Amino acid sequence: MADKSSKNPKNAASRRTAHGLRSWIRRVGALFALYAKMDFAWLLRDTKTALIVIAAESISQIAGITGVFLIAWRFDGIGNMDRYEVLLLLGYATLLQGVYNFFFNGGNTGHLSRRIGRGQLEHMMIQPVPLGVQLVTDGFLPVSGNGGLIAGIVVTAVAVRHIGLAVTPAWLLLFAGQLLAGLAVLVGMLYLGSVAAFYQPVAAEEITSDIYNTAVRLSAFPLSDLSRGGQTLLLTAIPAGLLAWFPTLVLLGRPPLGLTAAFPFLFASVLALLTGVLMKKGWLHYAREGSARYSDVGHRR
Amino acid sequence: MPVKDRPDTRMWATGDSERAGTGAVKTTDLPIAVEIRHVTKTFERRERALTGEGVLRGLFHPRKGVLTALDDISFTIQPGEFVAYAGPNGAGKSTTMKLLCGMLMPGAGELSVLGLSPRRNRVRLMRRMGVLFGNRTELWWDHPVLQSFEWKRVVWDIPDAVYRENLAMVTELLDLSGLLHTFARELSLGQRMRADLALLLLHSPELVLLDEPTLGLDVVGKRQMIGFLKTLNREKGVTILVTSHDMDDLEEMAERVLMISEGKIVYDGSFDGLRRISGSLSRISLTMENGQPPAIEGARLLSARRGVYEFEVDLDQLPVQELLRRVSLLEEVRDVELGKAPIEEVIAGLYTEWKNPGPR
Repeated sequence: MADKSSKNPKNAASRRTAHGLRSWIRRVGALFALYAKMDFAWLLRDTKTALIVIAAESISQIAGITGVFLIAWRFDGIGNMDRYEVLLLLGYATLLQGVYNFFFNGGNTGHLSRRIGRGQLEHMMIQPVPLGVQLVTDGFLPVSGNGGLIAGIVVTAVAVRHIGLAVTPAWLLLFAGQLLAGLAVLVGMLYLGSVAAFYQPVAAEEITSDIYNTAVRLSAFPLSDLSRGGQTLLLTAIPAGLLAWFPTLVLLGRPPLGLTAAFPFLFASVLALLTGVLMKKGWLHYAREGSARYSDVGHRR
Repeated sequence: MPVKDRPDTRMWATGDSERAGTGAVKTTDLPIAVEIRHVTKTFERRERALTGEGVLRGLFHPRKGVLTALDDISFTIQPGEFVAYAGPNGAGKSTTMKLLCGMLMPGAGELSVLGLSPRRNRVRLMRRMGVLFGNRTELWWDHPVLQSFEWKRVVWDIPDAVYRENLAMVTELLDLSGLLHTFARELSLGQRMRADLALLLLHSPELVLLDEPTLGLDVVGKRQMIGFLKTLNREKGVTILVTSHDMDDLEEMAERVLMISEGKIVYDGSFDGLRRISGSLSRISLTMENGQPPAIEGARLLSARRGVYEFEVDLDQLPVQELLRRVSLLEEVRDVELGKAPIEEVIAGLYTEWKNPGPR
């Protein structure tokens, strides 16, 4: 009897936790489905325009990486990467942007400084959904945001075929893991920068655009010929190297600077922790000081 | 000192009290809808210099001022009440609304909404209350109105039966059937406000906070909005707190008015009580042919500009017939205009009087 009574509260607690988790997953799933449906409605309402926009985005993404690829082609590679390894890097960088657009491009979810700077967090505050869940689900654009994703998959597939990489389940898992870590680093950088908008809403409203453009442009360059110090800088202080260059070398089986495949995960975790702490501080400042800025035409999500 | 025309029990009512008066609601089982106790909210405002020297000095020693938006305010709202929250621009109305939604934190004091702390229980609270700021929309701009309603159903996790019933109700009462498939960006302001109000009500909120809901609406739009809110309060028992600086609108909607000025609650009671306190203040403007200032016994000169002289008159003290008789005795009067004193000035006048008691 004594055993039973001591066990029961634990069982009840674990049942509650399991129920809470199931309910959370159900809510998040429902929200993803909702935003997917709304994005799909855009395709159905004006299919011709939607398809043109997706195709144009794919073409523009490929055009954006052509310059670096032509240099690699002309000189038979850059640094210690041959021309198809450079193509893999470019495909991977495009894919990361595509995944970012897929999950975070809706309603400035990734460009959080815009929401903060424009006083639009108040729209989030009146929804009965935790802010973290809103940030994860609100920006989901599986239809309109997939131009970069398509281009990235095509370019990566071409590069992988030419290099002759063995695409095993383990390699695909490594690929997905590195992509996830890269996405976490990119979003972490954007959210870390967005903290400034809590304090200077006008000046910092567009700070995420600057961070995004800098990081994404730098990510499409092979950094192999850079000095060790330069590489370290671009893997830590300005972690653009973690977005494509580092994971590409991991996927090719030769991670740089003696690091391992776990480094992006470690870095993303530290960045997430730092961003979380500073975001909370900024949020408290916002709750104390508020934001008087607001566009009177209403909020466009 | 706030002026009240009702017993003090109302200001600090507990959950077991029973209110008297129109629209009385038994609060035995329900928590107080809104309770604010000694809340103060200040904002720091940086003062910018215009000269080069001032800008340079500001880099090292920035000058900061403190704006007191709310100054030790306290009030309660019982379930089922329809309360107007009035005051001039910048009085602290929107700040109060944001505190009640958990968007801002008070500097001092405590507040609870439906028995919950807005900051600590935001998610739970938002399932039970609705908020509408008149100068912004919650509708999805590039989607039909019905899509915004569907969005609300999922985000608020509204049961299908409740959603269907509420959708039918708001569509009928707010005359939305012709607008459901229109993009939000294509709606007129009045239509948008109706659609926003409908969106607000789909989850059957117990408490509704409306910040300037009639802002920018034409006469027809206002009538429609006011009529709907009254029905909602009367038939569904929804507690409503509405802000506006348009006293006519507020008087038509609410039974109780909370008046705020310079961050202080200066009046809490009925509109009739407010009239009794403020007296029958009116304005009379005289345009003189000769530009010479006239003198009217019992009237106070407020301003003189280009031969137009504006006086304040308390018609309780100086009846209109007597006033006109005295004006008719004046020579070289070209034009006479008589009107009510602007409400914001009445409020400011009342506030000054309450702050500095004595003859005006």
